[in-house]
Amino acid sequence: MAEAMGFYTDTTVCIGCKACEVACKEWNQLPAANGGVRELSGNSYDNTRRLDGIHWRHVKFVEQFSADRRDGRWLMMSDVCKHCVQAGCLEVCPTGAIIRTEFDTVVIQSNVCNGCRDCIAACPFGVIEINPASGTAQKCTLCYDRLQHGLEPACAKACPTDSIQFGPIRELRERAQARMQQLHARGEARAYLYGADPTFLGGLNAFYLLVDKPEAYGLPSHPKLPTRNLAFSALWSTLGAVVLGLFGLFSLRTRGDVVEPDETSSGTVDERERHV
Amino acid sequence: MLQWHYKAADPPGDCRSDPWFTYQLGKRLKKRYAASTLPRDQGFNNLLWDYEPEQPPSIPGEPDVLKILKEINGYETATSRHLSGFSELKDDGSTTCASWIYSGVFPAPDKNLAARKEPDPPGVMGAHLNWGWAWPANRRVLYNRASADLQGQPWSERKKWVWWDGQRWVGYDVPDFALTKAPDAPGEPDGIGLAALSGRQPFIMRPDGVGWLFAPSGLQDGPFPTHYEPAETPVQNPLYRQQNSPVLKHWQRDDNRLVAVGDPRYPYVITTYRLTEHYLAGAMSRWNPWLTELMPELFIELSPELAQEKGIANLDWVKVSTPRGIIKAKALVTRRLRPFTIAGKRVHQVGMPWHWGWQGVVTGDVVNELTAMVGDPNVSIHEGKAFVCNVERA
Repeated sequence: MAEAMGFYTDTTVCIGCKACEVACKEWNQLPAANGGVRELSGNSYDNTRRLDGIHWRHVKFVEQFSADRRDGRWLMMSDVCKHCVQAGCLEVCPTGAIIRTEFDTVVIQSNVCNGCRDCIAACPFGVIEINPASGTAQKCTLCYDRLQHGLEPACAKACPTDSIQFGPIRELRERAQARMQQLHARGEARAYLYGADPTFLGGLNAFYLLVDKPEAYGLPSHPKLPTRNLAFSALWSTLGAVVLGLFGLFSLRTRGDVVEPDETSSGTVDERERHV
Repeated sequence: MLQWHYKAADPPGDCRSDPWFTYQLGKRLKKRYAASTLPRDQGFNNLLWDYEPEQPPSIPGEPDVLKILKEINGYETATSRHLSGFSELKDDGSTTCASWIYSGVFPAPDKNLAARKEPDPPGVMGAHLNWGWAWPANRRVLYNRASADLQGQPWSERKKWVWWDGQRWVGYDVPDFALTKAPDAPGEPDGIGLAALSGRQPFIMRPDGVGWLFAPSGLQDGPFPTHYEPAETPVQNPLYRQQNSPVLKHWQRDDNRLVAVGDPRYPYVITTYRLTEHYLAGAMSRWNPWLTELMPELFIELSPELAQEKGIANLDWVKVSTPRGIIKAKALVTRRLRPFTIAGKRVHQVGMPWHWGWQGVVTGDVVNELTAMVGDPNVSIHEGKAFVCNVERA
C-alpha cells in the first residue's frame, strides 16, 4: 500500500465560503437537493443541513454568542467522511462494496452496493446516505479518481484559505501539531486535534483542529464501532446455540421414551403424525 | 495583475468566446463602412483590426489572442518589434500601443509574461515577480521607495522591501523610483517631472513627491478625512454640526425620498451585503442549482432583542419598508446582530443580502428597492451600506 493519505481540516481558518461543497459536487457530478429549490433552514448560514448521499461536504456554522455579546465567535467547520482506519461501514457491508484503497481511504463501489443501508446505521458520524440518483449508499470517496492521477481532492484544491489540507497523514499530523502549538502559544488554549490519535478508531484519515468540544460541532466524543458488540454477541450466540442444542437433545430423548412403546403397539396415524 | 488563462475545453455547440464576438463584430462593422467616405465613418476605416490567426483556429472565426496582447503591449510600427516597456513609447507614430500601463507584458514573441506561474520558494522573502505580470512595469507595490527611510534604509528588517545599496535602488520588488537617484540627491529647481524631485520624495506621481494627509485639491470632500453620518441615520452626527456630506449626490425625485433624522416611522439601521454563494444581484448565480441550494431564500438578519420587540420568530415572513419600497423576506434571528447604544438611545440594526430577483431557480424580492439613490461625491458609488427602514411581521 502507498502511504496513507487524507485530510487535515484546520477549522480556525475556515471562512464558511462553501467552495468545498460546490467543488465536490462539480467534480463528482452530484445533483442539487430538489433541483436547488429548498427552504431556508433558519440555522445560521447552513442550508445544507447534513452530510448525505448527494452532499459529501458540509460546512457547519456554529454561532456562540453570550447574551450580552461580550463573548462571541462564529465557528465554521467543513465536515466530511472521516475515512476511519477502523471503519464501521466497512465492517458491516455484506456485499464487499466498501473497500479500503491503496491510499488507506474508504470507498463505496456503487456498482457492487445493493443499497441494504447497513453502513448508514454503522457509521458513527452519520456520513453515509442513499444517493437517490443511483439508489446506492454514497459518501466522500476522497476523490479516489483524482488521487489515482496524482491530483488532490477537489475540495482541498478549491479551499481558498487552506483550511482543508490534503497529504500523507504522517505529514499532516506533524503540521497539525505545529499549528496547535502555535495557537496555544498565542493564547488559544482550547485548540486541540480531533481524530489525529491512533487510539481514536485507529486514527481518522480526515482529522480536525477544533476549538470547542466535539459535541459543539456535532461530532461524537467517543465514536463507537459495530464490532464492539462482536465478542459479547458471539458469546451470547454460542450460549444460545448451546441452550437450543441441549433443548433439542432433551426433546429427542423424551420423544424416544414416549414413541417406542407407541410404535410397538402400532398407534394410529394421528398419533404418529403428532411426533413427526 | 495580469494572469493568463487557458481554455479548459472548446465551447460546446454554437457557444463562442468573448474575443470571437468582439473580433467578428469589428470585422462586420469595418465591412459595412468600407465604402463610406463620410468623415464620421473614418474611425472604422482607420481601425487596425488584424487579429487573424496564422494557422486556422480550432473554432472558425476565433482571433489570435496573442496578436491582441501584442497590440496591448505595444510594438514598433515599422518593424513590428515588441516593446520592452512604456519607456520605449514615442508620441510620433513610430510606436503603437493600446494601453501604456500594460506595456512590457509581452516584450518578445516567446515571452508572454502574464502566463508565468512561478512563485517564489516557500520561506524565501520576495514579491513573486515571476508569477503573472503586474502593471506598471511588473511592480507589485506602488511608491515602494517609501518602504525605506529618508536615508534609503529599510524602516524595519522584517518589512524591508526596497532599499538603497549605495549605488542604486534594489530589493524584492521592482523599485518605483529613478534607479540611480541617491537618497541625498537634490531635486533640480527647474527640472521637469521626476527631475524636480529629490531622492527623498517617493510619491513620484504627485507634483510635490510626498504623500498627502491634507488634500486641498483632487477630492470633492477634502482636505481632511472626517466622519459624516450617512444620508439616512437615526442619530445626529456626534462629531460636529455638519450632519452629512455637504457635497453628496442625491437625485431628488418623488420615488427617491430620504427619511429625516430620527423619523419614528423608520427607526432601524439597515445594511446590505453579499453572500459568497451568489454573484452581485444574482442574475447568474440564481440559475445554478448547486449555488441556490446553499442560499435558497432571501432573508433579513435581526437580533433576538428586536425579534422579541416585534414579535418575530425565526423564519417568520417579515415586511421591510423604506419611503422607496416595501419587500418581504424571511427572518433569520441571530445574536451576530446586536442592538447599539448611541447617545444613550438603543438603536437596532438589521442586515440583508441583495442577491434575489424575480427569475431563476430560486426567486425573492429585490432588496435594492429599499435603498436610496445617494452617491458619494467623488465616484458616485451609491450608499447601500447604511440607511434606515422599518421592520414588521408580515
